[in-house]
Amino acid sequence: MTKNNQTTTHVGDGALLECSGIERRFGGIVAVTGVDFVIRPGEIFGLVGPNGSGKTTLTNAITGFYPPNEGTVRLAGKDIAGTAPHKVAKLGIARTFQNLALFNGMSVLDNILLGRHIYMKPGVLRTALYWWAAQREEIENREIVEEVIEFLQLESIRHELVDGLPIGLKKRVELARALVAEPKMLILDEPMAGMNQEEKGYMARFILDARAERGVSVLLIEHHMDVIIGICDRMLALNYGEMIASGLPRDVVNDPRVIETYIGGAHG
Amino acid sequence: MFYRLSGVHYDSFASDSRIFKVPADRNLAVFFLLFGLAAPFIIPSLYLNSYMLPWLLWTAAALGLNLVTGWAGQLHLGYAAVMAVGAYSAVHAVRFGVPWEFALLIGGLASSVIGSLFAFAALRVKGLYLALTTLAMQFVMDWVLNHSPTISGGSHASLQSPTFALLGQEITSDVGYYYVGFGWCVLVTILMLNLKRTGLGRALVAVREKDFAAAILGVNSFYYKILAFATSSFIAGVSGALLVATFFFLAAPEQFSVGVSIQVLAMVIVGGLSSIIGSYFGVALILLAPGLVNGLVVAASGGLGMQVTDETLAHIPNAIYGALIVIILLIEPLGLGKLYGNVRDYLMVWPFDQLRK
Repeated sequence: MTKNNQTTTHVGDGALLECSGIERRFGGIVAVTGVDFVIRPGEIFGLVGPNGSGKTTLTNAITGFYPPNEGTVRLAGKDIAGTAPHKVAKLGIARTFQNLALFNGMSVLDNILLGRHIYMKPGVLRTALYWWAAQREEIENREIVEEVIEFLQLESIRHELVDGLPIGLKKRVELARALVAEPKMLILDEPMAGMNQEEKGYMARFILDARAERGVSVLLIEHHMDVIIGICDRMLALNYGEMIASGLPRDVVNDPRVIETYIGGAHG
Repeated sequence: MFYRLSGVHYDSFASDSRIFKVPADRNLAVFFLLFGLAAPFIIPSLYLNSYMLPWLLWTAAALGLNLVTGWAGQLHLGYAAVMAVGAYSAVHAVRFGVPWEFALLIGGLASSVIGSLFAFAALRVKGLYLALTTLAMQFVMDWVLNHSPTISGGSHASLQSPTFALLGQEITSDVGYYYVGFGWCVLVTILMLNLKRTGLGRALVAVREKDFAAAILGVNSFYYKILAFATSSFIAGVSGALLVATFFFLAAPEQFSVGVSIQVLAMVIVGGLSSIIGSYFGVALILLAPGLVNGLVVAASGGLGMQVTDETLAHIPNAIYGALIVIILLIEPLGLGKLYGNVRDYLMVWPFDQLRK
């Protein structure tokens, strides 16, 4: 009970992200249809569903990779459906990817610095005249990046190439890269896939701290139900691209349709 | 052994983001810069003019191609065509009465405009398709040069380059030409070194590695690809103009043919994609190795008293040079720059090489 009070204090009123009637088709296949949900400021919102149920398609619809064929996506009241992905970042949405999307051949630091791209003005002349035109901007952004590096405890690996890091650290670097963009809305696509129990615990703690200290709202896609129940304020379950349940985690996981989807129905 | 990181500490982000973090690297860079400045007093004029100058100018050009192919990851097979645009525009501008300083700028800008206009169309496709489209650009440029006498003086013709001059000072000596090439190469190198530590360089690598991930961070990949093409074309244009002004002394279509495009690409790949020192090595190998190998073969055949016909003599160096490229890329696919990096990394922890990661 105390835990619930603690988590709900962060959640404000109104809607930060509001999706209504979202439908996305690929040819004749309807990947997502009729999805409505609202994420409040400061909320951690869970999204679950079996493989192929449309979770990632839904995030791709929000972030502009596959604009929805129907429906609206509102961020703080502004319709953003169909906005190109590189513009979505400037509106205050950051995301991580299910299959890690770090840039190989670059150090951890450079990867995270890329998260600050929307606040920087890279140019050829500025690069050539680094000492006069770019150094100050680089250092200012480096300071913000270092705060997040400290927050996510990545100090010891900041100069290492990302190529060889273990997956748990890679996921953390990707979270850092998303956080330095100072987003209002953070979309995490399976941040704990492939992690052991300890790494999962760390990641869950980082997500809670990010919300508490940085005030982000989180849309969290996960298969680990213990994590979803443990840290989400509300959640949504998808199956075959349709909503089957939404609301408080304990209600959703006890919903007969969710149980049927995950465990199978009683036949006969 | 002289490469050491121990004892190097940073107390500010500015010092942590300096170009050469290892003191030995910094000292080497300063040494080569001073050597470059003093070269005319050390190296005989003949070598200065026939080896050092083309080496530096082609390195500047290769660095430009490295920007678009190594950093931004866009295969470019029409680089010589872009150099031709710069060379011909600059020479025509000078013949029209424009001073060389502005003519070089005009050459660079003309290349930049044509290169990025072309990229606008070509960048709708990726990978091998882009390579083929840039190859098409090369052939279009070859055709234009061979069929428009107003530009090139017609097929098999050449265009005399007026006397080179900077700041009202006519430059006609080998030493003068050398310093012009040296200055340009240093400028391009500084740009490329800074690229390694600024947002522009990071954005280009992001576009090369994973464009969807770059997009969600706010990087507009199309814009950065165009920017890479425009910048590299500018470098190509000025390099082409300087080659004509200080080395060839006349502009002819063969100097910028498809073979040259492939050769510059070979310089970049043998040197190592997105390696700056690699481009220096790559150009040295591709440009200077044929001559050196030729000299060695002649000396060896003479010394051993073998009767080698002229025809064989003409082919042996080519075969050795080709084999050299294959061997280097087999040993280290990332090129000569990486090969140097391996040696450096080894020496960094020598004799405690078990500490190597």
